Amino acid sequence: MYTSRAAIRVVSHVKPTQQVRYKRDKTGLNPQLERIVSQLSVMSAGRKQPRLLKLCNEDYVKHKTVMKAWSHYRKAKIQENEKLLQKQYESMKEAVSELQNLSPELFEIANEHQYGKRFPLELRVPTEYPPRQIWFYDYFPKQEAK
Amino acid sequence: MTLVSVRSFSSSVSLGKAACAQVKPVHHKVRIIKKNLSPRFPELKYPSHDIKSPKFRPYLTHLDRVDHHYHNVLESDLLLIGYRHGQQPIYGNKRRHWDMSSPYQINRPLRKPKGQIVPSQTINPRDTGNIAKLQSISINCFVKDAKQYPAMAIGATLQLQQITGVKPKPIYAKTNVPNWKLRPGMKMGAKVELFGRDASQFLSTLTEIVLPRIGEFNGISNRAGDRYGNIAFGLTSDHIKYFPEIELNQDSWPNLYGFDITLHTTAQTDADARILLSGLGLPFVGSERIPKTLLDDLTVHPYEN
Repeated sequence: MYTSRAAIRVVSHVKPTQQVRYKRDKTGLNPQLERIVSQLSVMSAGRKQPRLLKLCNEDYVKHKTVMKAWSHYRKAKIQENEKLLQKQYESMKEAVSELQNLSPELFEIANEHQYGKRFPLELRVPTEYPPRQIWFYDYFPKQEAK
Repeated sequence: MTLVSVRSFSSSVSLGKAACAQVKPVHHKVRIIKKNLSPRFPELKYPSHDIKSPKFRPYLTHLDRVDHHYHNVLESDLLLIGYRHGQQPIYGNKRRHWDMSSPYQINRPLRKPKGQIVPSQTINPRDTGNIAKLQSISINCFVKDAKQYPAMAIGATLQLQQITGVKPKPIYAKTNVPNWKLRPGMKMGAKVELFGRDASQFLSTLTEIVLPRIGEFNGISNRAGDRYGNIAFGLTSDHIKYFPEIELNQDSWPNLYGFDITLHTTAQTDADARILLSGLGLPFVGSERIPKTLLDDLTVHPYEN
């Protein structure tokens, strides 16, 4: 009914791909399996969780207060941004409706749809530090092939 | 008491009786969280944003460059670009009501929309509330050879984790194709969905390091997109080696796996999404098709339903 360990050790030189929960022999896993095991161990969460911070009550209250104040600050910033956008929207609307009354031809041109418009590729997401070469003085944009 | 004939199957309605219990089944709606009932393990009861919780993860650790750029530069420009005076909503195809010609239609779910199965969205005029924004980036890595060599799916998963820094989820085959020896339930690769800082980090690596060095990459096709503001493109296994995480350690990556990247935006149309993504540093090539319904958005369309 049960196979003895000795019997299994005899067949173990074949190196099956299936893993058996026995003591590893000296030669270890074959390199392919070892690779898979190491790949899986990189991804597994075992022993990678950092220690839980232990805060005394005073530190805990301090932390909460600072975070709350910071979140209020961020919220205020977001609301300010929204207000600014709303103001821009209102003034855009007002300006275009005035243009509609003053000169319908210019309004037609101003009110065309802008699908297909692109930001220039030279527009960069700003970094914390300036680049080594600040400005390309000899730059001119590539001519598009027609 | 007069009997009023009501068009229904129920015989109890006309008698003024309820056919079912009138007490609202509240107990189905209140979710009982057992850990809050027990006095044991108080540290597990903290919310995940609390520093005492084991789930706590600091996330506001650094400035989000892409987000900053969006709010400082792109957002107001996108509002200006998308605004059209007198723009009207373009109504999507919604589910239709039954005409109630048969009593069998009484409790039926609504009819399918005209000419399609899934209802389409209404496109509202440009407003401060519907400026396009990058919502998330999902990366899908399906490895064809994983059906023969299951270890390849593990390699692909690890590759995604190394590149994005987020734990991927495995993807499994759904269909049974005997000719390809594909059966449902086989692990075929991995997928990852990136939000917030992870998405920004991945996007800046992509636009600043990877895409400029791919020789044959001219830009994302202007025809790409799912109509609702999500734009997708793919990178082959040859392109993956330009990611710095892979490039600096090429010896440990004998085989690389290409993947598909979907940029999910809150844009209402693909055309709007492309304008946004061009501002984030992604080039677009090819001719663009704009649906005719989008072009005549100044005329008032009746809401048909």
